[in-house]
Amino acid sequence: MQWEQRRADLKAMLAQRRLGVAKGWYKFSRNPLSVVGLVVLCIIVIAAIFAPYITPYPEHAKPYTNFSARSLPPSGMYWFGTDRVGRDIFSRVVHGYRFSLTIGLVVLSIGVAPGVILGLVAGYHQGTWIETAIMRITDVFLAVPPLVLALAITAMLTPKLINQMMAIALVWWPWYARLVFALASSLRSEYFVREAELTGASKLHIMFREILPNCLAPVMTKMTLDMGIVILLGATLSFIGLGVQPPKPGLGTMVAEGAKRLPGEWWGTIFPALAIVIVILAFNLVGDGLRDVFSVEEV
Amino acid sequence: MSDHPILSANHLVKHFPTKAGVVRAVDDISFDIATGETLGLVGESGSGKTTTAQCVLGIYPPTAGEISFDGAPIGVVFSRRNKELKRRIRIVFQDPGSSLNPKRTIKQILSVPLKVHGMGSARERLSMMSELLQLVELPPTEYLYKHPQAIGGGEKQMVAIARALATNPRFVVLDEPTSALDVSVQGKIINLLMRLADELDLTYLFITHDLSLMRNVATRVAIMYLGKLCEIAPTPEFFRAPQHPYTKMLLSSIPVVTSEEEALKPEKIVSQGEIPSPVNIPTGCSFHLRCPVKMPICSKVDPEMQVLSDGHVVRCHLYGNDSSANVLS
Amino acid sequence: MDGLLAIRDLHVGFRIFEGKLRVLNGVQLDVREGERVGLIGETGCGKTTTVKSILRVLPMPPARVSGGEILYRGEDILKASRRRMQELRRHELTAIFQDPLQSLNPVFTIGTQLRDIVKDSAIGRGKRLSRRDVEAQCIQALQETGMPDPGRIMTNYPAQLSGGMRQRICIAEALSTNARLLLADEPTTNLDVTIQDQILRKLDELVEEKGASVVMITHSMGVVRDLTQRANIMYAGSIVETGMTHSLLEAPKHPYTQGLMASVPKLTGEGISDGIPGRIPNYLDPPPGCRFHPRCEHRMEICESEAPPLFSVGDAQHVACYLYREAA
Repeated sequence: MQWEQRRADLKAMLAQRRLGVAKGWYKFSRNPLSVVGLVVLCIIVIAAIFAPYITPYPEHAKPYTNFSARSLPPSGMYWFGTDRVGRDIFSRVVHGYRFSLTIGLVVLSIGVAPGVILGLVAGYHQGTWIETAIMRITDVFLAVPPLVLALAITAMLTPKLINQMMAIALVWWPWYARLVFALASSLRSEYFVREAELTGASKLHIMFREILPNCLAPVMTKMTLDMGIVILLGATLSFIGLGVQPPKPGLGTMVAEGAKRLPGEWWGTIFPALAIVIVILAFNLVGDGLRDVFSVEEV
Repeated sequence: MSDHPILSANHLVKHFPTKAGVVRAVDDISFDIATGETLGLVGESGSGKTTTAQCVLGIYPPTAGEISFDGAPIGVVFSRRNKELKRRIRIVFQDPGSSLNPKRTIKQILSVPLKVHGMGSARERLSMMSELLQLVELPPTEYLYKHPQAIGGGEKQMVAIARALATNPRFVVLDEPTSALDVSVQGKIINLLMRLADELDLTYLFITHDLSLMRNVATRVAIMYLGKLCEIAPTPEFFRAPQHPYTKMLLSSIPVVTSEEEALKPEKIVSQGEIPSPVNIPTGCSFHLRCPVKMPICSKVDPEMQVLSDGHVVRCHLYGNDSSANVLS
Repeated sequence: MDGLLAIRDLHVGFRIFEGKLRVLNGVQLDVREGERVGLIGETGCGKTTTVKSILRVLPMPPARVSGGEILYRGEDILKASRRRMQELRRHELTAIFQDPLQSLNPVFTIGTQLRDIVKDSAIGRGKRLSRRDVEAQCIQALQETGMPDPGRIMTNYPAQLSGGMRQRICIAEALSTNARLLLADEPTTNLDVTIQDQILRKLDELVEEKGASVVMITHSMGVVRDLTQRANIMYAGSIVETGMTHSLLEAPKHPYTQGLMASVPKLTGEGISDGIPGRIPNYLDPPPGCRFHPRCEHRMEICESEAPPLFSVGDAQHVACYLYREAA
């Protein structure tokens, strides 16, 4: 008897999930641009994961020099040309995506969760000292421009990728705190929250089980759009010299290296720069589509 | 039915200080609810009926006066209320669309009161939930795993009722439980509520603005205006022989559908003017500005509650001790 | 029959994820000059879709008109150009909706909003009004709806006023254009009973004065009884019964109408019926034939395959039910 019920339980839950996903896809695919963005993003991610196996010259991503092939324009052998030291730019760009995507993922993993939790707690305790304490600290962090703060932190520590990621994560959480704070404080007066309170549910339950699920949609949309911005921020830091250090193929680093050679040897800068633009655009398009997925349509 | 009231309010007052002034939401009301009865509470905006319900539930501690449940005083702020009270006094809200969390399944929604009050192990809870759904005539296997958006308004309200009953309460506050629903669905829910009251020995505080509904549901009706009780009477008497001018005004304004009902309505009193805001309550009797039969004393002195007959009380100078119009017409 | 508004066999659907929602299924509606007509229906029956179709404010990508016509003074407004529609909305058609908070812009004063409407409706008529004229018309419109102290109200924001006053303003806005047809979609559902009474009386008065026609859409049969001369009952996208209000309510013929009447709680205190069993149909896959047949205790074989037309059953009364086929 119990077993049957459990199995029915699971089956029904899966059926609902599948239906939800199908509906989500329908809404997403209404906008062709979002689908394009998703396709491009998938290609980039797969390429980045399998970079060593699919690029023609994977060893060029490591310390390598070949002065006989230096500064060659794009050709059949070197699709994006070579840089000053003779490395294939195409392979390096694809490997560069690895750094960019890693930065995005790591920053968002570290930065989003604390921001969401703090915003949730502050929102539910709106009007008390808890809210004041949390939100004023958030305000302080928000008052400083992200790039400046990240710069300051990275400059204090040694310029390494890991420090760069920490710096950006530190700057990123306040935005999520604020977003979730706004959502949570308005959800607090919903009847279902009141009902949970009247039943005697614990605050933890109310915050994480009743309010949080209703905040996830905007958070996820923002995360997708943020990926682009974080990647850009990372590339900027690398461009200045505080992020990915040469000879590693960070996209920003490559843009900086090639910049000295403009406009003559344009391929050294333009291709990495385009790569940055494309990945950001793809994330933005997917983010737009996600927003449509989560919107509730009225009929 | 036991002879002591399950709920009693004694000179209950609830004021809210705001920037615009003190909102006198509930301004000295007293009433009793006997076990097993359904007290209907009627009033328009600003009447204080919702605040009264909130005080009963413990959302607000009273500013003055007391409320007692089963003999024990309960007028304390919610965080100090014991869990037992939260189990025994429950509420069904008006809008089922927002009283059920759209991101949770019905199973998750029903499990909350069960878990909070430690009712049964995880396995037992599943069968308890099935039983609850069967109690409200919804097939469990179909409904447990759905989200609220997938079911209709009437069914959502049934789930809300099931949730309220999950803790085996004794007293349920029904705050406009069918106002947001269509009339063809309303009947089923109301009849279900009445049946459950019998079966499970429940007492209801039934709040609604729909007087025709009240006529068929409540054992006694209490009508409030701007924080004060105007009249309380057993239902048939309330409708057959209303005494308070406000009651008469309200009853004469309701739209009815048959000519028999039309004949039952008191003579038409055209209501005039807006309902004053509870920040700005008129002096004397709060109703005098709109009262068609006001006397000079009404703008100066607030009337006391007069007992007209067993169970029928009115607060109006027309029936004061010193007045000659002291008869039930 | 020349009337003000005639909806003929209107079919409207919506395209959504799961398929096509076939909401309006052959709506027939008539409104004559100066007539007050009620449209009674419950949630999901399509009454708001009908109103939006008349005003042509349905979002056209998901919505689609798949058949029928809406004739306003003989002109099919479904085919009208955008400019013509704008003219019509300025001078002929107007609407009041359920929630005045949504109809009134919260960031502008009442005065600003009312003046805009008065100016707009004058423009089309080729009149140029001076500022004083506009002001005077606004004040007059507010006074007509029984607002105390119209001058002060003009400077207020919607949030500063009570629900009843806001709705009065919406009525003032609607009637200040001197429209011929007023569509009122549940205008008093959110209001207190005594205020509702006042507003409906005022509406009655004003409409009588101006000789406008009203389509009163509501789920409350009591309101229709007090206010209208003719009534239409709508179920699942089509009109199932229509007739003179009093005779329709005293002796409803369609099983749905009878079910509704039985479900309404009565002041006579005889208890409430259990309502009508079943649910409104799923518009994705509506029942063939008469859409009410799954819930009808009188259903016959033909009900399951062919949708009944409106049969005439006496003085201006029509029922879409095969029970009355012979009477026709």
